[in-house]
Amino acid sequence: MSDWLKRFLPFASLVVLCVLIAAAEPKFLSAGNLAGVARQTAVITIIAMGMTVVMISGGIDLSVGSEMALAGVAGALLMAAGAPPWVGVLGALAAGAACGLANGAAVAALRIPPFIVTLGAMGIYRGVALLATDGKAVVGLPQSFGWLAEGEVLGFVPVPLVFVVLVALLTHFLLSGTRAGRYCYAVGSNVEAARYAGVRVSRYQIMFYVFLGALAGLAGAIESARLVTGQPTAGEGYELRVIAAVVIGGGSLSGGQGSVLGTVVGALIMGVLSNGANLLGISSFTQQIVIGAVIVLAVTFDEFQRRRLETLS
Amino acid sequence: MRGITKSFAGNSVLAGVSLRAAAGEVHALVGENGAGKSTLMKVLAGVHRPEGGEILIEGRPVHFTSPADALAHGVAMIYQELSLAPHLTVAENIFLGREPLRFRPLGVVAKRELNERAGRLLEDYGFRIDPRAVVGRLSAAARQLVEIARATAEARRVVVMDEPTSSLTAHEAEDLFRLIRDLKGRGLAVVYISHRLEELGEVADRLTVLRDGREVYEGAWGELSQGEIIRHMAGRELKDIFPPRAAQRGAALLRVEGLTRKGKFEDVTFEARAGEVVGLAGLAGAGRTELVEAVFGAQPFDGGAVYLNGAKFNAPDPARAVGRGLGLLTEDRKRTGLCPDQTLARNLTLANVGALVKRWVLSRGREREAAREYVERLRVRPPDPERVAGRLSGGNQQKVLLGRWLFAGSRVFLLDEPTRGVDVAARAEIYRAVNRLAEGGVAVVMVSSDLPELLGMADRILVMRRGRLVAELDAKRTTQEEVLTYATLEEEFEIRNDE
Ligand SMILES: Nc1ncnc2c1ncn2[C@@H]1O[C@H](COP(=O)(O)OP(=O)(O)OP(=O)(O)O)[C@@H](O)[C@H]1O
Ligand SMILES: [Mg+2]
Repeated sequence: MSDWLKRFLPFASLVVLCVLIAAAEPKFLSAGNLAGVARQTAVITIIAMGMTVVMISGGIDLSVGSEMALAGVAGALLMAAGAPPWVGVLGALAAGAACGLANGAAVAALRIPPFIVTLGAMGIYRGVALLATDGKAVVGLPQSFGWLAEGEVLGFVPVPLVFVVLVALLTHFLLSGTRAGRYCYAVGSNVEAARYAGVRVSRYQIMFYVFLGALAGLAGAIESARLVTGQPTAGEGYELRVIAAVVIGGGSLSGGQGSVLGTVVGALIMGVLSNGANLLGISSFTQQIVIGAVIVLAVTFDEFQRRRLETLS
Repeated sequence: MRGITKSFAGNSVLAGVSLRAAAGEVHALVGENGAGKSTLMKVLAGVHRPEGGEILIEGRPVHFTSPADALAHGVAMIYQELSLAPHLTVAENIFLGREPLRFRPLGVVAKRELNERAGRLLEDYGFRIDPRAVVGRLSAAARQLVEIARATAEARRVVVMDEPTSSLTAHEAEDLFRLIRDLKGRGLAVVYISHRLEELGEVADRLTVLRDGREVYEGAWGELSQGEIIRHMAGRELKDIFPPRAAQRGAALLRVEGLTRKGKFEDVTFEARAGEVVGLAGLAGAGRTELVEAVFGAQPFDGGAVYLNGAKFNAPDPARAVGRGLGLLTEDRKRTGLCPDQTLARNLTLANVGALVKRWVLSRGREREAAREYVERLRVRPPDPERVAGRLSGGNQQKVLLGRWLFAGSRVFLLDEPTRGVDVAARAEIYRAVNRLAEGGVAVVMVSSDLPELLGMADRILVMRRGRLVAELDAKRTTQEEVLTYATLEEEFEIRNDE
């Protein structure tokens, strides 16, 4: 009963939210606006897919916003130096993956709590991005690069949405159809038990952080394509939204739980919430308060469920 | 307790159970794994709310809404799964929530008084544990004793003990029995759950047998023979707890040479052949767990070597040990065994996920099939592979973990207290599974504090004392007394022997 509620609640919230906003502002349902929501939510959703994996394995990464900026800047610098867009995108992916590797290695090998490691990394990566660009936006990117954010497939599907679907499918397969997925849940559920069962815990933990880093890199590339510049200040505060998406979608801060579908719904809730707020003329400052409150609510709900489960068992 | 009913998610677990525990009496509660013993007692302790029936204490009906509530009525429980705070000290755990305070309004804990009182309590009980030690660093046995001390210190009317001896050795169990007699003398009612019928004879006055959530017998202890009790529990006749084994002794699959870890074990040398079951006996703290975990690569060692199939293999970590065909059923299933919020099937296949994968893709069908096969073979109850493992009863969790290594197809099995908390019928299943392993040419090293089990199952029994192997006995010819003598020999005697 409670498991069922936990699965159902995010969907129900999303539907209720959409109905409420549509009632207050019919423009919400226009094709143009919905495509806009998809574009705006894409970056968060892509990172949130990686965050789902890391959080299921019992970790967390607070540096995703900085990783995204650093990766976006790295790709932009490559292109500004004359590289074609696809090299720029690969460069961003590689930069993100490298950040993830560093985070994962620190967590797995040095056994520092992920919260601390990635809090430090958040400052480091942002600093590197600012240093590399002197704090200014990287300009002079090829026009064709903009397709990554503004282009359409089949005439009406936004390109970022295509990436979201691909990444979601890939992550879902990774979690439910591979050995790494089984290990991911096992490590998050009980690290020691996983170790004693012969799981190479460190190796997989590193892999999960690299996966998240690469996705943050992809998100960074899409974000710079949207702005057609490499912004060292991109992605500030995104860690909050990404973690919120995972938690709202049923992921647990203590690991072992979470799903791709849940996170997608969680990210959509975040996206619809901010789009609705914009349509209704609610300031972005107020939005921040709302996002923060939603996270606390979601975690409270999760804890409440957990306690009920514990008294049951 | 009268006519208690309780169900989880629509599955009835208790169907109108009654239990009367009189003051100054020890009431034994037995039944197969999953019969509902723990659930019944958790109802009494205020953990679960019953759907029907009533609880009467000294004739007055009570409704507990929490364990604290039950405690206020003098009811305390020692849980099957230990529930101490690992980062706190022994003394802090014992007095958790009832700390002696200085400067009362500020709530400053009187540290010295806390430690002194805990120390006196432990001494009274005859437990040799430092009240200042951090609980997380203690052995499973010591933690169990702390748990016992905490609950009995709080209880005023009823103490429930859910398998309190499961991680104790015979020696420590004696201390516990003395404590129980003392509690009895003070006029408390004790409810005692155990799968070891032999030890119940030491303390029990009355007996209730539970089967599938119903009481099938209630009477004075001693009215039924062991065989009859088992028949009531299982609902059928059970012969041959230790079935015969027709195993061919083969080559030495595992050889341990001079293995040493300072302060834990020293210069340990033994081998285990294909088709052989080697028993490791000893008191808690003799270093048996540290030894098998070192062989498995889960704990470090300082010197010596391990040979698998004649080739030197000092396992650097469990992953590589598993890769070479070692399997370790650990002593502490909560800490190092179970992934509690994952399904039974996922827990069972965890050590060999590779067998479910074909060209990168994991087959859920094969996962379910494998789980179903071992669930059937080991009679896991309920036989539902999709059940969350943390919600299985203790004994069934243990079967799942044994199934994990069966499915992994290990060649050398290290079993550390393999039948902890497992009922008689299921124990027989496990013994049969071990026999089948041996007959299939596997080497088994079995650490156990249950001497009848070692005598019944092992070919040879190695006795460990204070980290050293002190005897090798033929299981067919030795006796419990002989094993115990070697396990407990006094230091003095040893020195004289050395001279
Ligand atoms: N929280 C829970 N949710 C669902 N089912 C549960 C829960 N707790 C116990 N059960 C089920 O209730 C039944 C009885 O469990 P219980 O733990 O009382 O058995 P037990 O007699 O103590 O067994 P054991 O000897 O193995 O400890 C089992 O089938 C178990 O799976
Ligand atoms: Mg139980």
